[in-house]
Amino acid sequence: MADHNDPNAVNSIFSDIDVSAADLYDIFGFPGDDRTGIDRVVIALTFAAVPQAGVFDADMLYRILIAPDHRIARTSRDDASLAGLLAYLEAIKEKYLKILKPSEVRVTVDDDNRANLRFIGFPGGSFSASIATNESASVRSPGGHQINVFVGGRDDAFFNDLPGFFRSINYAPQFYHVPHTMRDVRELKIPKTFLELEGNDLFNYDPRLPEWGHGVKKELPSGPLTWTGNRFKKDQNGNFRFVYSGRDARAGQNCNAIILELPLSFLTATPDVHRVVNTWGESWVLKAANKIETIPDDPLWIEHPHVLLDALTLDDELKKYKLVDTDGQAFADAALSEREDNRQLGANNFWLAPHFIKRLGHLGWGFGPSITALGLASAFDHDNSPVSVHRTYASVLEAFPRVSKILFQELNMPDDSWNRKGLPIPLRRAIDIFIPNVNSIDMDTTGTWPFGRRLEDQVATRFLSTFLDMSASLNGQKYHVDLLNDPALWSSAPIEPKTPPNPLKNDKEFLADFPYLADPW
Amino acid sequence: MASSAGYAAEMQRIDEDIAKTDGAASSTPTDPERITRHIYRLYQKASISGDLAGLTAIERVIDDAVRFLANPGDLYLLKAHAAFKLHKLPEVDAALLAVPSVYESDEGRLIQADLDFQHGRYQAAESGYVEVLRHERSWGALARLAHLRGKMGDATGADHLYQEAEGQLTAKEMRAYAWLEVQRGFLDFARGRDGEAQLHYRRADAAYPGYWLVDEHIAELLGAEGKYDEAVAMYQSILSNGRRPELEQAIGELCELAGRSGPAAYWKERALTAYLQSVRRGEVHYYHHLVDYYSDVAEDGAEAVKWADKDLQLRENFATQAALAWAFYRDRRFNEAVHWIDRALATGVVDAQIYSRAGEIYSAAGNEVEGRDLQERALNLNPALGRFHVHH
Repeated sequence: MADHNDPNAVNSIFSDIDVSAADLYDIFGFPGDDRTGIDRVVIALTFAAVPQAGVFDADMLYRILIAPDHRIARTSRDDASLAGLLAYLEAIKEKYLKILKPSEVRVTVDDDNRANLRFIGFPGGSFSASIATNESASVRSPGGHQINVFVGGRDDAFFNDLPGFFRSINYAPQFYHVPHTMRDVRELKIPKTFLELEGNDLFNYDPRLPEWGHGVKKELPSGPLTWTGNRFKKDQNGNFRFVYSGRDARAGQNCNAIILELPLSFLTATPDVHRVVNTWGESWVLKAANKIETIPDDPLWIEHPHVLLDALTLDDELKKYKLVDTDGQAFADAALSEREDNRQLGANNFWLAPHFIKRLGHLGWGFGPSITALGLASAFDHDNSPVSVHRTYASVLEAFPRVSKILFQELNMPDDSWNRKGLPIPLRRAIDIFIPNVNSIDMDTTGTWPFGRRLEDQVATRFLSTFLDMSASLNGQKYHVDLLNDPALWSSAPIEPKTPPNPLKNDKEFLADFPYLADPW
Repeated sequence: MASSAGYAAEMQRIDEDIAKTDGAASSTPTDPERITRHIYRLYQKASISGDLAGLTAIERVIDDAVRFLANPGDLYLLKAHAAFKLHKLPEVDAALLAVPSVYESDEGRLIQADLDFQHGRYQAAESGYVEVLRHERSWGALARLAHLRGKMGDATGADHLYQEAEGQLTAKEMRAYAWLEVQRGFLDFARGRDGEAQLHYRRADAAYPGYWLVDEHIAELLGAEGKYDEAVAMYQSILSNGRRPELEQAIGELCELAGRSGPAAYWKERALTAYLQSVRRGEVHYYHHLVDYYSDVAEDGAEAVKWADKDLQLRENFATQAALAWAFYRDRRFNEAVHWIDRALATGVVDAQIYSRAGEIYSAAGNEVEGRDLQERALNLNPALGRFHVHH
């Protein structure tokens, strides 16, 4: 996932908004598995298959931005206080715009469905290439670097119980016919939770309608859209009811994709130093004025922060387009930015840090108690609440103490296989992962999340693990990012159904070789 | 690069979608989204094609469908839009008030501001638009504010707002872009800047080929430039796709200007018949066209006053006030004409046509100095005043 149907401008949950080619799905990134030759990085940007898989919308422009950097060094002096957070944000504030100055691969597809790629600003040279779509191609840079490229239709590599996620946040449009005019009826004011709430008839699983939320919707009730209970629901055997089903919501569905396999030495002049490849994707749609001709376009000094950024950085081609969606880190947009159109900032999302803190606080009051109820330890300070709580924050100062551990704790990995060279690589923290909103691929690791994102990673469940207390242990092992993906955990938990939240693998086998994503259905 | 789509292609897509969702209201179980989509498409078809009969029919369809839906907010919003286009302003209010979420939505608030405009509450309208723009600078809200500011004399500011609205639009919204270009072109036309107007109209045509709204404005421009036959041909081409009595009146006036009295009488008579038939059906949309017809085509002051008064009862604003003043002038009731033109001017409207008529009214009422001053101001606004134009 990351952010299917995000942002609302292309949201197809609503009846009169068509699925748009601007809806970015995911950006995957990992070091190439061929360890015999030079370092190569694989980056795959996926998006809605519109007009259809393998056929592209000629009004769209896609960008894959790439900024190699050295690995973050962490010291014992790192400050987990609010002052430490502010210092962190200050340090990254101008990192991407002024220091790293990302290079990019820009892709358009013409009316003959031929892909035009521009490699811009790379140390290995700037050049362009025109390739046939739906075929793997190899292009060569001016410096002789061989780059594998694929632009075409693929099986959607996303595997996730999307309705389960929407049930966990009480997202009404997934379950009800919500009129456009009822804009406040989206995330209802009901505690977010992993476990069903007793009496939450608005969202609890309905055995008479098992496909509810999976394409089937109900009429929105006229009564209050709230919950007044005080405990989690349990069945006659004392089991909780999971909001997740483990079903793959995207099974059998396709996407369009831009897939690149690039030598690290093309991306940076110092591949030995720059061991982390930061990347994110953007979708842009041609402005109406530029559909017919180029006309002067004054910058609009309006409330959307990205407009200011645009005016500073846009080149002449991009000025003809309008930014619609960004995708860097799984869940950064869908879960933390609430799918808002004006929060599509990519690497420049430090603007949104205050919102992230408050949003994490809100999510924590929901997810934290449901983690604790399962007998697991939560990193969120919820005052030992026995049940999820719906609470929002207006103040960062108020929210920060509750979420500081989530932000600053190191996320343990299940074993050492991710660190394939056994280097002293610090574990990632939520703050590192979500701000800035980029996929940071560590070339000395396998690239498994959060050291990148491999195709086979179940990132949705790993995202949920950020709410676990990583200092706790289970069966003698420290909590880790794959704990909630472990079927054994759920089979012994007092819960039904006894399944990990999301499917453990994709509906179609990935390929061993480029372009790695499976053929379309 | 010209758009490969355009009016015909969009209408075909809408027709296909209407066919796909046909029977939505009778399907079991009820599918509110399918019903809403079907009716939305019907509304779009009528609205884009300028089909007033279609819009009238939509109102009935919505009334039927509302019974099936637990949350018919979107349909009430559509109903408000349809009623507004038909000048049924009390029904607009009623539709907005039917569901609180509609009334409080940005879309609902924009229509409330439109109602304020129609009722001459210009400050309230401006505040309404600006308030919604604080939430989101949508092209629709920007265009409304542009229209208001343009009418109040800030043509440059209006054009900037229209331009900003265009900047919000993508290649997927070429009809809206063409509509905005038409508004910008008309701003120029109303100031006698024919060359600039023509550029905007051409751009609109390139963006969304085959749009009757663009052709209608190009025909007006041709008529104003004295190219009567070309203008008539263009209007007739538009009419081949559906009855539009106001365009029949325009053809009649153009034939008159071209010295062809026979066809002129024919087309004017056709227009008048259609206006009156509409009124007999209980519709109010053509009141203002009847005022225009009786004031300037038939020059029948008494009839003009009758229809102007009816229109003013629906919505008192600078346009209806000025129209009533002009009707009184035609009826040689100059004191009443002065009263109403004063009311129109007091709104702050800045419009060459209204200034020019005010000048004539003042002069006829014996105030030659004020009359000349107003005529001068009118010519300053539009040096090409007095040419052929259409009552939009």
